[in-house]
Amino acid sequence: MDLGTLIPQFLPEFVLLGAGLLILLGERVGLERREYFGALSLAGMLLAFLLVAADLGTPGMGGLRGVSAGQVDGAAIPGALYGFSSLGLWFQEFFLLAAGLVALAFLSRPSVERGAAVSYALLIFATLGMLLVTLAADLVYLLLALEITAISSYLLVGYTRRDPRGLEAAMKFYIIGALSAALSFFGASLLFGAYGTTSLSVIGHSWPSGSGGLASAGYAFLLVGLGFEVTAVPFHMWAVDVYDGAPDEVSAFLAGGTKKVGLFAFVLLFTVPLLLVGSLSSATGSARESIQLSLVVLALLTMTLGNLLALLQPEMKRLLAYSSISQAGYMLLGIAVGTAPALTGASLQILAHVLLKTGAFLVVAAVSALGIGPLVADWRGLGVRRPYLSAAFALFLLGLAGIPLTVGFVSKFVLFSALVQAEGWFLWLAVAGLLNSALSVFYYARILKTMYVDKSPTAEETAPARSGEPLGADGLGWGRAGAIALAAVAVVALGVYPQPVLGALGTAAQHFLSLGL
Amino acid sequence: MSPEGLAFLALGAVAVITALAALLVRELVHTIMWIASFFVALSGLYFLLQASFLGVLQLGVYAGAVTILLLFGIMVTRRRIFSREAATGLSLTSLFLALLVIVLLAAVASDLAGASNSTTIHSYAVVDLSSALFGPYGGWLLLLGLVMLSALSGAIYLVREGRE
Amino acid sequence: MSDPITTASFLGLSGALLGIGLFGILTRRNFILLLIAIEIAINAAVLNFVYFAAFASTPASGLNGQSAAVVLVGLAATEIAVGLAIVLALNRLRGSINVTEATSLRL
Repeated sequence: MDLGTLIPQFLPEFVLLGAGLLILLGERVGLERREYFGALSLAGMLLAFLLVAADLGTPGMGGLRGVSAGQVDGAAIPGALYGFSSLGLWFQEFFLLAAGLVALAFLSRPSVERGAAVSYALLIFATLGMLLVTLAADLVYLLLALEITAISSYLLVGYTRRDPRGLEAAMKFYIIGALSAALSFFGASLLFGAYGTTSLSVIGHSWPSGSGGLASAGYAFLLVGLGFEVTAVPFHMWAVDVYDGAPDEVSAFLAGGTKKVGLFAFVLLFTVPLLLVGSLSSATGSARESIQLSLVVLALLTMTLGNLLALLQPEMKRLLAYSSISQAGYMLLGIAVGTAPALTGASLQILAHVLLKTGAFLVVAAVSALGIGPLVADWRGLGVRRPYLSAAFALFLLGLAGIPLTVGFVSKFVLFSALVQAEGWFLWLAVAGLLNSALSVFYYARILKTMYVDKSPTAEETAPARSGEPLGADGLGWGRAGAIALAAVAVVALGVYPQPVLGALGTAAQHFLSLGL
Repeated sequence: MSPEGLAFLALGAVAVITALAALLVRELVHTIMWIASFFVALSGLYFLLQASFLGVLQLGVYAGAVTILLLFGIMVTRRRIFSREAATGLSLTSLFLALLVIVLLAAVASDLAGASNSTTIHSYAVVDLSSALFGPYGGWLLLLGLVMLSALSGAIYLVREGRE
Repeated sequence: MSDPITTASFLGLSGALLGIGLFGILTRRNFILLLIAIEIAINAAVLNFVYFAAFASTPASGLNGQSAAVVLVGLAATEIAVGLAIVLALNRLRGSINVTEATSLRL
């Protein structure tokens, strides 16, 4: 492994690393204004986005290509720590999208703020970790890359170091993250013990032969450890507090970005064992079913409980956090089924969620910057007072509920029809998913009613807007307004014309599964 | 019983007892002493398994650096240096997790009881370990470097006294 | 009595250490104790890697495990540094590092 081959292959990652280091350096030489750091981050992310697009073989971008066509979706090299799959590269694009939206919205925080540089650098490092996760072909590599994201995000949650709520949220996040890392690494050590290697594909192919009991225990520990990461019920209880206490933009990044990386880790870990064993003898088949069953149970619990708790929440941010937990259940369901259409559906659902959840949390950030309180009830009559902002929020909620003409509808449609196609008892999972979607409509509709039907609070009740420099774009700040508008446009565009992305993701999922075999 | 077997039993018992004591004693400063002994016991186990480089690493990083770091943490949060840890009841989650661990490992152990063990302990030269670490597993080290980079850039900012 | 160095007995030891660590993470309220509990839990994984490497079937596989153990030691030390940074920042703000006294967030 020498730099001559590493640099072209990992060009997007090196670009991000360079941007992060330049930001830290810029702060040392006395740059203070947020705009510099923001511009540098956005430039780095945009360049990385284009480079990944080139690696995916986008026509007309061949000159930027760092990973040759043969390497993407090529046969796995024995002993390699990383490999390039088109599905992984697509996920890199999703993560860069989430990070870019958050970086854009970050621009609207006060221009000279302590920690502006560090927060941008940490955002970039977290994104870097996310990109690296998608390439993992080795268990320890995967967990280390997850750890880059995790450690950057604990510190990102606490970066407003004079705000006790942020620091407490960081502490809670840290404790849960360390617990999850300890369990995951213990699971990894058991898998290593069973098969004498940390290569994901070798482990996946060997299981459940040989020391199957040891390996199954290893998988169980990894399931629990990563379950914390993706906020699967019953390992979800930390998420609401952390999302609630973190700075608003950071919550958007956690819900829209870092959680998805855990889901992709699930894909990497469980696709091969799920795929492979189905075609084999009955003993191995039953082992496959046990792992599938535990994933399905986790998914069902997650979506149902998340929805039920969201119904009861009076606070906007906590409500969105619970809805985000329940949405993770749908994605887990798609991963558990393990067929190409279901994986496509889950990937599309993740893309939808990146746009919808990031957008929704950014609207919450904008609304709280306007000095409106945290309760859903405080949003009464917002539709009249802030028509554009409310329209964007309504769009995101409709998307989360899965209403046609939004990307949320397309993704749920693809996912549920894949469940129906998979036959057998998977049909009932589609029914459970539909019932859950119906349930979620209740609380989304309640918010819409609050915004559009209820009367505005009287002038005495409204808190005065926060003082500070006046912001452009109707008091929201251009960065925030731009990020929300971009997310909203993407939601509608992908909802009306999803075919190109859908087709590409479908092929990517197929390649990914055939690679596993 | 072989001398190695005796040493394993003794070191394992010391590790479990010191780990428990570190979490259960009431004076925080005593905790540090117990945890240092725990790290030394683990290092002894590594030497027993003929992983001498890891044994030395364990002594240097844990018994040395991490212990000092923890002691430093207690000193800086001095107000509470002799504070007592109030006894807390077991929470349901911890019981659940502890049960999970026990059930899983019991299942595994019964699975392995019949399996014959290869009795020879392999030892590896430090040269081979380093060429593995910097050869096929160099990627891990690069990732570890990135973990440390993000940890340091954020942690230094959090603790730095600055004008606000 | 047969030789006690078996996979089952080693798994018993590392499982006990993991269990102690989990118990500490979930029940201790002082943040320093929490950090110690985290270290104990991660050390259980390191112990497993070292043990399985010592009895690995091929040298390549043994070196794989020992390298993982080395990297894991470094990772655990980094985790502690981050944890301490959060404690110190919180301590400066609050004058207390007890987890349950951080009450402005609720479950």
